[in-house]
Parts: sequence; C-alpha cells; structure tokens
Amino acid sequence: MTALLEVEDLRVAYGKIEAVKGISFSVEAGQVVTLIGTNGAGKTTTLRTLSGLLKPIGGRVTFDGKVLSRIPPHKIVSLGLAHSPEGRHIFPRLTIEQNLLLGAFLRRDSAGITRDVERAYELFPILGERRKQAAGTLSGGEQQMLAMGRALMSQPKLLMLDEPSMGLSPIMMQKIMSTIVELRSQGTTILLVEQNAQAALSLADHAHVMEIGTIKLSGTGQDLLHDEGVRKTYLGED
Amino acid sequence: MTDIPLTEPLQPTPLGTTHPDAARSDSFVTLPPGVARIATLVGVAGTIVSTFMSWTYTSAFPGDLTVNGYPGGLQVLTLIGAILTGLVALGAFGVKGLTWLVPNRSPNAVLLLAAGTFATTWYAVIAIAQELGGLANLNPGGFVAAVASLVLLVGTLGLPIDRQPLDPSGAEYYELGRLSENGPARGTYRWLRQARLNHGELPVPDPARAPAWVQYLTIVVVAAAGVKVLTYGLATGYTELFIGYLILVVFTLWAFIAAGLTRQFSKITADHRPFAALMGVVAAVAYPFVQNNEHWANLGVNILIFGTVALGLNIVVGLTGLLDLGYVAFLGVGAYAAALVSGSQYSIWSGVEFPFWAAALTGMAASLVFGVLIGAPTLRLRGDYLAIVTLGFGEIFRIAVNNLDGVSGPKVTNGPNGISQIPDLSVFGYNLGDPHQFGSITLGRFANYYLLMLVITVIVVLVFTRASDSRIGRSWIAIREDETAATAMGINGFRVKLIAFALGASLAGLAGTVSAHVTYSVVPNPYQFSGAAPPNSAFLLAAVVLGGMGTVSGPVLGAALLYIVPEKLGFLQRYELFAFGVTLILIMRFRPEGIIPNRRRKLEFHQDEALLPAQQALGDGTAALGKAGA
Amino acid sequence: MHTLPQQLANGLFLGSMYGLIAIGYTMVYGIVQLINFAHGEIFMTGAFGALTVWNCLPDGMNIWAALPLMLIGGAIVSVLIAVGAERFAYRPLRGAPRLAPLITAIGLSLALQQAIFVWYPGADNAKDFPQLGTHPYHLGSIAIQRNDIFLVAAAVVCMVGLAAFVRTSRTGRAMQATAQDPDTAQLMGIDTNRIIVIAFAIGGLFAAVAGVAFGLKYGQITYNMGFQAGLKAFTAAVLGGIGNIYGAMLGGLVLGIAEACATAYIANIPGMHQLGGQGWANVWAFVLLIVVLLVRPQGLLGERVADRA
Repeated sequence: MTALLEVEDLRVAYGKIEAVKGISFSVEAGQVVTLIGTNGAGKTTTLRTLSGLLKPIGGRVTFDGKVLSRIPPHKIVSLGLAHSPEGRHIFPRLTIEQNLLLGAFLRRDSAGITRDVERAYELFPILGERRKQAAGTLSGGEQQMLAMGRALMSQPKLLMLDEPSMGLSPIMMQKIMSTIVELRSQGTTILLVEQNAQAALSLADHAHVMEIGTIKLSGTGQDLLHDEGVRKTYLGED
Repeated sequence: MTDIPLTEPLQPTPLGTTHPDAARSDSFVTLPPGVARIATLVGVAGTIVSTFMSWTYTSAFPGDLTVNGYPGGLQVLTLIGAILTGLVALGAFGVKGLTWLVPNRSPNAVLLLAAGTFATTWYAVIAIAQELGGLANLNPGGFVAAVASLVLLVGTLGLPIDRQPLDPSGAEYYELGRLSENGPARGTYRWLRQARLNHGELPVPDPARAPAWVQYLTIVVVAAAGVKVLTYGLATGYTELFIGYLILVVFTLWAFIAAGLTRQFSKITADHRPFAALMGVVAAVAYPFVQNNEHWANLGVNILIFGTVALGLNIVVGLTGLLDLGYVAFLGVGAYAAALVSGSQYSIWSGVEFPFWAAALTGMAASLVFGVLIGAPTLRLRGDYLAIVTLGFGEIFRIAVNNLDGVSGPKVTNGPNGISQIPDLSVFGYNLGDPHQFGSITLGRFANYYLLMLVITVIVVLVFTRASDSRIGRSWIAIREDETAATAMGINGFRVKLIAFALGASLAGLAGTVSAHVTYSVVPNPYQFSGAAPPNSAFLLAAVVLGGMGTVSGPVLGAALLYIVPEKLGFLQRYELFAFGVTLILIMRFRPEGIIPNRRRKLEFHQDEALLPAQQALGDGTAALGKAGA
Repeated sequence: MHTLPQQLANGLFLGSMYGLIAIGYTMVYGIVQLINFAHGEIFMTGAFGALTVWNCLPDGMNIWAALPLMLIGGAIVSVLIAVGAERFAYRPLRGAPRLAPLITAIGLSLALQQAIFVWYPGADNAKDFPQLGTHPYHLGSIAIQRNDIFLVAAAVVCMVGLAAFVRTSRTGRAMQATAQDPDTAQLMGIDTNRIIVIAFAIGGLFAAVAGVAFGLKYGQITYNMGFQAGLKAFTAAVLGGIGNIYGAMLGGLVLGIAEACATAYIANIPGMHQLGGQGWANVWAFVLLIVVLLVRPQGLLGERVADRA
C-alpha cells in the first residue's frame, strides 16, 4: 500500500535562495507525522508548498495517488488536503460560524455541514458559545481552535497544522495538544509542524527534524524524543 | 591615473558569473556551424554591396535611391547596419582585434544586429514597393538587398544563440490558466518562452583593467557618438528615413546590451562618474552648435523642460514611491506665476516685471506652497489617496485657471486666452530673445533658451543626485520600500514625504518659469492629465517609468523619446495616444524597471530573479558575491 | 427651480450615478488593493455599447422597449473589457510593486479612450444618446426627469441585488473571505482568481448601467466622459471608505448632493459670488474630499486599516 502523502526530493526557492533543498518523507493514513526544527528550517515553506501556495522548483508530491505540482491551491483542498496556516489566519471580520462554513466551502451537503459545525462546537465548546461573534474578537488560543475547526470542516484526508501552539499560554497549548490527541484517536491523519518539539514528538507516530532546508534526522516520535542530539538541540537539555 | 592599480583586481574577474541552470544555447534554425557563419558573412557582404547599387528607378521615393555607387537615404542605414553586423560577427567568431566588440562572445548580438539590418532593409524595400505601387519599381539592387539581408538573418539564426532556460517552476501553468495541457496555444506559448534570449549573466571582462586613457576615451567617444546619432535622427527629413533610423537604433542598442558592451560602459561611467557627467554636459552644450537650426533648438528646449520636470517627478515617484498623477499642475503654477510677474500687458499686474532670478524664485515658491497645501493633508494617509488627490488637484488647477477670467470667476488668468506677450528674458544683460553671434555660428532665440534651460537642468540633476545620496534620500528610499519599517527605524515618514513632495513641486515650478518665457504665453490647455503632446501628467509619468524610475538619465531619455517620436511620426497622430497607452501596458508587463534600470529598482521588480550576481558585481565587485550567498 | 428640495433631489440623482461607478472601484480595491484607473473608461465603453445596440435596432422603436436590450449590450461590452483587463493586464502583475499595476491602469485607460476615439464611427465628436422624453414629473415642488427615475431605480435595484449577493450567496461569502485574507481563502478551496474576475465583472456591469444612465441624463456621450466621471466616482469611493460597497454608494450620494448644493448656493455666500456655478462644482467636490480625508481618513464607513502595500 502506498502512503497517503509522498514527498520526494522537494525543492522550493524564494528567488534564487533555496529554502527547502530536496526533502523526502511520507505520511501513512491514520498516522500523525511531525516536522520539527528551528525558525527558518523550511517547515512552513514545506506546508505552503504542499497546499499549493508556493510552487516548487523541483521534486514530486503525490497525495492520494495524484501528483500535486501544478494543481492550484483551491483544487488541492478539494482532493482532501486541509491546511491550518501558521499564525491562524482566521477571517477577523466574519463570525465564528461564517469562518467554519468557509472551511466547508467546497462541500455541497448542507445537512452534513450543519452536523460538522455542531461537531466542531463539541470539540471546542467555547466556539459554540460565541458562534455569532466576529472572529477577530477571540483570544489567540480561541482563534487557534477556530482555525483547526475550520480546517476540519472540509473533511480532510490529511490535516496539516502549522505551529498550532505558537504564542499560546501553557494551559491553552495543553488544550490544543490534547485536541490533536483526540483527533488522532478518531483516526484523523495529521501532518504537524511544531517548534515545541517535546509536545510534538510525544504524540507523533513519526517525526522528522528539519535544519536549514533539509531533513537531518528521522524516526518514530519516541526514538527522537530520546535521541541525544535532539534532546540537546531542541529540548534544551545539556 | 595612479588609482588604477587599486581598483584593478589581481585576477581577471568577470563582471558576472554564469548561473549553472541558465546556460542553454542552441540555434533557431538548424545549420552546420560552418554554414551558419559563412551565410552570415556572405549576407553581410551582399548587403553592403547592394547599398552601392540602385534600388529603384525613380527618385519619387524620398532619399534618392537611384544612384549606382553612392548610397543615399535608407541605403546608408542598411550600410551602417551591415557593417556593424559584420564587425560584431567577426568579433563574436573570435577574430583578433575585434573581440572587444563582443566582450561576452555571445552570438546574440550578431543575431540582433542582423535582425535590425534585415528589418531596416526590408522596411525600405517594402516601402518603395508600396508607395510607388508594386515590386516593378524595384531595381535589381533592391532585390539584392532583400535577398542578402535575408541570407544574413537566416545565417545568424543558425548560430548557437544563448537562450532562457525552461522554466522549472511551472509558472507558465498559472499564467495560462486552464488552457489545455498540450494545445496549440500552450505549444506556442512554450515556444515563445523558450525563444527568449538570455545574455544578461554571461561573464564579460572587467573594463577597469583597461588603461585609464582608454576608459576616458571611451566615454568621450560614446558621448560624441550619442550627439551624432541624436542629431542625425532629428535631421532625418522624411518619415521613412526616421522609421528606418528608429528600427536600426533600437536593434543596435539591444545588440550592444546583448554583447555586454553597455554593462562594461556603465561600469566605466560608474568608475569615472564626474568625468562622465562632464562629458554629458559638454555633449548637451554642443548640441545647439552642432545642430544649428532654430526648430531643433526649440525641440531641445522643450525636451529639457519636459525632462527636468520629469526629473522632479522622479524624486516623488522614483525615489519616494509616491504616485503623483497631477504633477503637471506644478509646472503650470510655476508658469502662471512667472507670467504674472513678467511684465506682460495681459497680466493683472502688468506693471510688475521681475528680473529672472526673482521670477524663478516666485515660480518655485508658488509651486512649493501648492505642493505643501496638497501634500500636508494627504501624505499622512495611505499612498493611494495621494494618487487621487493629486489627480484631482491637477484637474482643479486646469479648471480654475480656465475660470479665473473675470466672468466665471475672479479675474486672474484671463481664462482660456491665457497670459500672452510674455517678454523675453534677459540674463546679465544678455537678451535671450535676440540672436547672438559666436564666431561663424549664430545662436538664435531658442538656442539661447536651450542653454539657459541646460543650466537649470544641471542644477536639478545636482539637486537630485545630492539629495538621493544623502540622508534624506536614503529615508525616501526606505519609505518607498517599506513605510512601516522605515517609521520603526525612526524616520518621520510624513515629514520626509512632504519634503520630497514639496521639493518635486518646486523643481517643476522652476522649469515652469522658463517654459512661460519660451512659449511667449501660458494657457490652461497643456496642463491636463493626458493629451496628444507633452507635457501632461500622463506623459510625465510615462517619461519616468519608461526611462527608469529612480535614475537621472532615465527620465531625461524618456522625455526625449516621448517628445521626438510623436514629432517625427506625424502620421501616427491619430493613433499616438492609443499606441502610447498600449506601450505603457506592455512595458509594465515586460520591462517594469524601464529602459535604464536603477539597480535597486530592478531587484525589486524581478524578485523571482533577484540577487543576480551580475548586478551585485556591477556595483561593488567581489564583496557582494559573498553577500548574495549569505 | 432652485429650492433646497430640488437641489437635494438633483444631488441624489447625480450621486446615484457616482455611486454606481464607485462600486466598481471599491470592489476591486477591496479584493486586490488596486485602483483600477481604467474603470472610468469601462463606464464609457458601456455607454457606447448601449448606443451601438440602439443604432442597430429598427428606427422608431420605443425607447422603453429598447432600454433592456441597450443595458444588456452595454453590460456585455463593459464586463468583457473589465474581465479582459484583469486577465491580460493586471493578473500578470500580481505580486509586482504597487506602482506597476497602477501605471498599467493609466495605460489601459488611455488606450480604451483612444480606441473609441479612433475607431468608433463618429466618436471624435459627441454622440447623441436616445432620450426618455422631456416632460418631467412633479412631486410637490420638485421636478423629476424621466431619466432620473431610471437612474434612481437602477441604483436601488443594483445596490439591493449586490447586498443580497454578497451577504447570502456562496460566492459572496467567498468574496468577503478573499478580501480579508486571499491566501487563506485559497486554503478554504476558494478559487481566488475567479473571485477577482467576478469583482471586475460586477464593477463592469454597474459601470455599464451608469453609462446608460449618463447617456439618458445628458443626451450625449463622448469618448472622454470616463475621465471626469471616474475621478468623481473614485472620490466617492474614497469618501465612503474604500473597500466598502455601502460606503461607495453613500459616498456617491454625499458627493452628488454636495456638488448640487455648492453649485446652487456657494455664490450666495458673501465674497464668493464668483465661485459658484457649474464651473466650480468639481473644485468644491475636491475640497470636500480633502476635508473628509483630514477629519476621517478612513472615509465615512471605512474601517481603519494599516497600509497593506
């Protein structure tokens, strides 16, 4: 069986500066795979390329049996790849409910959409309490919940989360991470990009460490969590 | 001269380095290499010979192309083109003594020159056949010219041309949208993309290694050739010759760029900036003496006025990034202010006659006041608002001077009739209205004004360069690049923008004071947003954009082009503005940095090709190469 | 004739036309932050398109019957030009510095104007536009021309339709999303290119309606009528708060009324008796813009947003 997402020798450049220099990895259905690494390692660039916002200069991305290069972003969404972007990027002047409905933009089954909106409110009750409120008024953590809920609304085969814990309080981060665990237990396939290596590694089936555009190290989440080098560099232990 | 060893690198460093992915060279037409070269040279020889033959029976076609053994009119252009092609081809083929003509050894320059020669020749032949009614009017010489230049073109098409690499990013997909994967449209499009020439990054020898006298001589020769080419173009007596001239000049310049000559030359001028500037001024001063004709002197004044105003606009648009769509109004304010204090009997203050320096200051001050009045409320806001407010102001100015006639409004400007009979200026007792004798050369009224205007242009150029290299100039550029970041660095955005806006306005006002005297009268009509002739705000903006934003020579060159081309191509008059609009669109699409790119600006416009080693190296040598990699 | 209600009504009519054109500026600006400087010319070509339809119709046809056909003809021309401009002139420049598309827009504006001037038969002079009839209706002391009724009705229909479209339709939601965050909108599966095209098309449609209304109101159309009207409409869009469709209409109405009142009443102010009248109307409209920008830079209904350039 082939993997759900297969990335082979992906290269992405800004002008003549290569930000991603030929990385390969794959995500099997049902797995949680994480990319960790410092600022500028190329993690966000990788995700933005997978969802079509950036165009690669080389390599091959296969998702669910289809080659993704040259498919515009809105078509990629329809293939079942959802992306919750770094910095959340909710639509601030729309209400929470309108934000969620936009997540289901490509779906036509209004009954199913209504059901999934309710499900998102179950997952994040705080959103349900404020459904008619403008999204821009939410706190950072609540916005992150909304961004995740919105990404789930497209019923993705693969959910890509870019730095969901960025700028959140420890409590809020705990909440987000436990939501990811919950999603995993429901069988959602997740590609998680994180700077918080500890949290990401502890819940990942598979993990890759990125450093200036390349994958330096790969292994199961537990392996890397106990790897000497990873502990030193990313978990702040001497 | 002793400074040469300091700038001379130890190793012969190329001005640019080839990007490994970029190298791709193959011919358009498959010919054995030897055949292509021979065809090229045979074509050159044949074309040269043909120009000494008679092309047509009658002298009805202008320029008299009937004489055997003596090229005339368009034949001269073909001859020049063919000789240049031949020399450059030999240089590209490696003939000793001529290789300096093609520093990067790319055959692209040969192809472009051959194309120029071909286009000029075939234009001439077709024009003869069309104007005289049929191919029967061609003499054998005409056919020889046509065939030989065709052989030349085909031969050069068989040379290994340096071309753009295929686009690996798939950007073409996005440009083409949903066109079918392999349909004819996509095929054509792919072919066109691949056909694009690529010579920008080929390495050329650093001219700084040449002896200093060679470098100085180069500058002198180029300046002299520039004046010669320009005056030749202006003196072309009939439309066909001018079109042929235009074709040849465009292709030749393009070929020089392709050969890397312009890059070497700009390096030389960058190394010897004061001398190059001096030669530029000398060439400009020489113009009325060389081209001793009042009509062309008049054109010269107008180009200078237009170019100076464009330079002022360049501070606002090119350096500071503020879009001013009503800039011509400041020229108008200056002109009206000068007219009012000129002593003209139609001025409401007809008794008042200021000396020139006072009138110039008045014009500048009046424009400055209007600049601040317009700028102060709007420059605090987003840039787009400035565009609309300046556009509105330009419109209001025209309406107001039209209405200030004593009937529709207070009497100030005489409305549509304007202020006429503006007396000539007198500077240090030298009346600019009278002809003056210099040896055997008489400088007429317009030549006098040309020289006066040249002084003002030099002043404006100095202001521009001093300002742009100063602290305030760097602030302007910072504001243009990123206002938020600039403000965070402690730059007072509003104040800095207001200074740019006011300075630009007062420079236009200064030019306006001279223009009022040159034209004898000021009327509202020229000061509109767009019109068939310069100056108007759209043409001013176009001069800046076409020439190259943020540079000194760009807007002046743009202004000259925008003045000369309509003047010469009278038959285009009805289509001129249409062509002009389309040109603006195409330039923004294909060469947004203008004819003469500002280095920084070019980087900005071509971000996907950013950090070209070539451009880095042009400015500051090897150090920059290290930075590009960082 | 010069009563205040009459002036208000005149301003309302004029303002409706400004508002209709302003919608096109504001929608495009709201989504791609581009001043489509050629929008005034799109308005002009709409009027010429409608006139062409009228000339093709049999002589003596009832104008009321012809009007729908003229509107359709004008709309087709305007929408095609607007969409074509987006596709071939603006889209390739997306991501370029902001000055580039603006200069393209100026070029496009000139080219369109001149294309009509050169190639539309007889367009080097003003062309007569069919009229709805000269007898005004009276509402109390206010005289209302028939063409003004068409204008106001068209503005109301367009505005209500647009509001409904943006609020309730799926595409409308996609438009709001694209205006707020184009990248993220793509991640929702929204084809933002399509949304941009639709914004241009709606702008073109409204401009065509305004173009027909202009022809009916003034009886003549010219190749360069787009410049003044476009300038005013853009002023209206800025007045109302650029990016906001209701603001565009409100700005149009305020501008129209201000202009009508200035024309009628400025001359009565002591010391300004020579500054009233039609000749100075544009000056006062412009002064109003400056004053509003000074007091409320984001416009009447605009939200305070940072410069996104």
